[in-house]
Amino acid sequence: MIFLFIGLPLLVAAVLPLIGKVSKKTLPDLLANAVFLFLFVLAITSGRQMISQGPVLRQLNWLGEPINIQVAVDGFSLFMLMAIALVTLCVGLFSINYMDHYGSKANYYALLLMMMTGMNGLVLVTDFFGVYLFLEVAAIASYALVAYGLEHDELEASFKYLMLSVIASAAILFSIAVIYSMTGSLGFAAVGEGLRALDARLVVGFCAALFIMGFGLKAALIPFHAWLPDAHPSAPAPISAMLSGLLIKVSGVYALTRIFFNVFGLTATFSQVLMWLGAVSIVVAAFLALGQKDLKRLLAYSSISQVGYVVLGLGIGTPLGIAGGLFHLFNHALAKGLLFLNSGSVQMATGTRNLDEMGGLAKRMPLTAATSIVGSLSISGVPPLSGFWSKLIIIIALVQSGEWVLAVIAVLASVLTLWYYLLVQRKAFFGKLNERWTAVKEAPFWMTAATVILALLSIGIGIFFTFVIRSWIQPASDVLVQGIHLAFGSWGF
Amino acid sequence: MTLQILLLTGLILFSILAILSRNLLRSAISLAVASLLLGIIFFRMNAPYAGVFEISVVAGLITVLFILTIALTKGESDVRESNLVRIVFPLFFVVFIIIDVLVMKSLVQKIPALPGSADQGTFGDVLWKQRTFDLIGQLAIILAGVFSVLALFRKRDKDE
Repeated sequence: MIFLFIGLPLLVAAVLPLIGKVSKKTLPDLLANAVFLFLFVLAITSGRQMISQGPVLRQLNWLGEPINIQVAVDGFSLFMLMAIALVTLCVGLFSINYMDHYGSKANYYALLLMMMTGMNGLVLVTDFFGVYLFLEVAAIASYALVAYGLEHDELEASFKYLMLSVIASAAILFSIAVIYSMTGSLGFAAVGEGLRALDARLVVGFCAALFIMGFGLKAALIPFHAWLPDAHPSAPAPISAMLSGLLIKVSGVYALTRIFFNVFGLTATFSQVLMWLGAVSIVVAAFLALGQKDLKRLLAYSSISQVGYVVLGLGIGTPLGIAGGLFHLFNHALAKGLLFLNSGSVQMATGTRNLDEMGGLAKRMPLTAATSIVGSLSISGVPPLSGFWSKLIIIIALVQSGEWVLAVIAVLASVLTLWYYLLVQRKAFFGKLNERWTAVKEAPFWMTAATVILALLSIGIGIFFTFVIRSWIQPASDVLVQGIHLAFGSWGF
Repeated sequence: MTLQILLLTGLILFSILAILSRNLLRSAISLAVASLLLGIIFFRMNAPYAGVFEISVVAGLITVLFILTIALTKGESDVRESNLVRIVFPLFFVVFIIIDVLVMKSLVQKIPALPGSADQGTFGDVLWKQRTFDLIGQLAIILAGVFSVLALFRKRDKDE
């Protein structure tokens, strides 16, 4: 069953371009969104059941013969699978209307499904080379999707993204090669044991540095962020939502966390490095976002800042901090997905991304404005929305572990976040209606539906946050906490 | 040993030439020579499969593709880059070598290694039986590449 998360999107992607010859729009829309919906339902129903007894390792059988294809599912990977399916579903629904004018929809969905295959694969693999391989699958699909509009800016942004991403992949691959040459194995568990048997602290430090650089580039942590403010705004809005909402978290944060928590083990030094990387990202990106006039660029800088919160929370390494980091990862995926989709609605209606040219759009696009407020307030951490609880948990965890400086930074940066999001709301949706926009209409049905779903989820999760934490976040953070206990104090740094 | 050092030096020199050369054709050929040398190094280090792929695909096929593309583009579309590249890259390279000499020498001696298992199986065994999952990943990468080409070189439909 669990192999469907990789096999189904791959299979459907393979046939979509052919189906596109028969039906240009309807069938690709229907088929792709059916896959997203099916995988989401699969994750929340049978996935939960599967791991109720703890992590499971599944082997693929072909005609009764076991084949050497293994995937592992635990609370952390299932949580990521659910988040991927949920955001991709909303993005898919939004694309039904939005991607109409881009043309070649079957191809677009094929690439989106490939991106999903890559992310699902990355979450399920049990060895280092698998991580690299599926990282590349998702990355290659995303290069093409960023450039999908084929305009000058988009191609340039995609090229810049490609170049920096290749450097990241090279660093990651080099580190994997070093690990393989020493331990002779690639599996997470075997490498962890091998490294401990060798007591290879120097090499672990070296590889960890390369991994932080590689996955830091993928996650766009400052100072590795240069590509993101170009790539994310240039992409079509649903793809911006995918990149900011999911890809940087799966190929950056998830992979980094899996390796540092479950293979190397989070030591005090690693914990400090991650926390400070996160804190610097939070502050610097928040200030950079403050000065932006381009709506999508502002959202892109905000993503860097919020991923900083996630890394900060995870880096604390206490059960509460990890839970807070993971919860914020999920909340940010929802809220940032929502805001990028909204920016697409606004851009489609007005043709501009410049905040100074907007104004008073709430009168013409009430639903877009309302959902946008929900997303903004959730990311800024205003109660009772979901983002408030995750930030609160992170800050409490910081205080508990005595990191007062970082706690104060996290609180102040949150105020800064609220500031620039309120600026966006005022400039774009409130104030006097710009005369140019008197003929503007609310976004089409599916676009609005996708944003309303995400907004309702942000509100609902905020109200029922204890339920979400107990059923999804806790099992995920338990896996990471176990990893820390297993490897604690192995390297002497 | 001398031959190995000569091959490695040649590899680095031709790689640098491929980056620094302003003439695209010269760049492509330098890259081909570099990967040819790398292929020979693979052979000498008992990795014949890696060597065969490196020489046939990278030195052969990709070079042909590069040269074809260069032949199809016009002469006047020469890439003009800022002169900064000429300074930055050698500087970066020198810094890299210094760090390499300082760090790697001490690191390499300290790298312990677990004894590798004697029999890893044949190439076919490893590819089809041990790393089966990788084949799916590779299939996905190839598909993603094909879809990217289809998407980026598409013609816009008139009705859309």
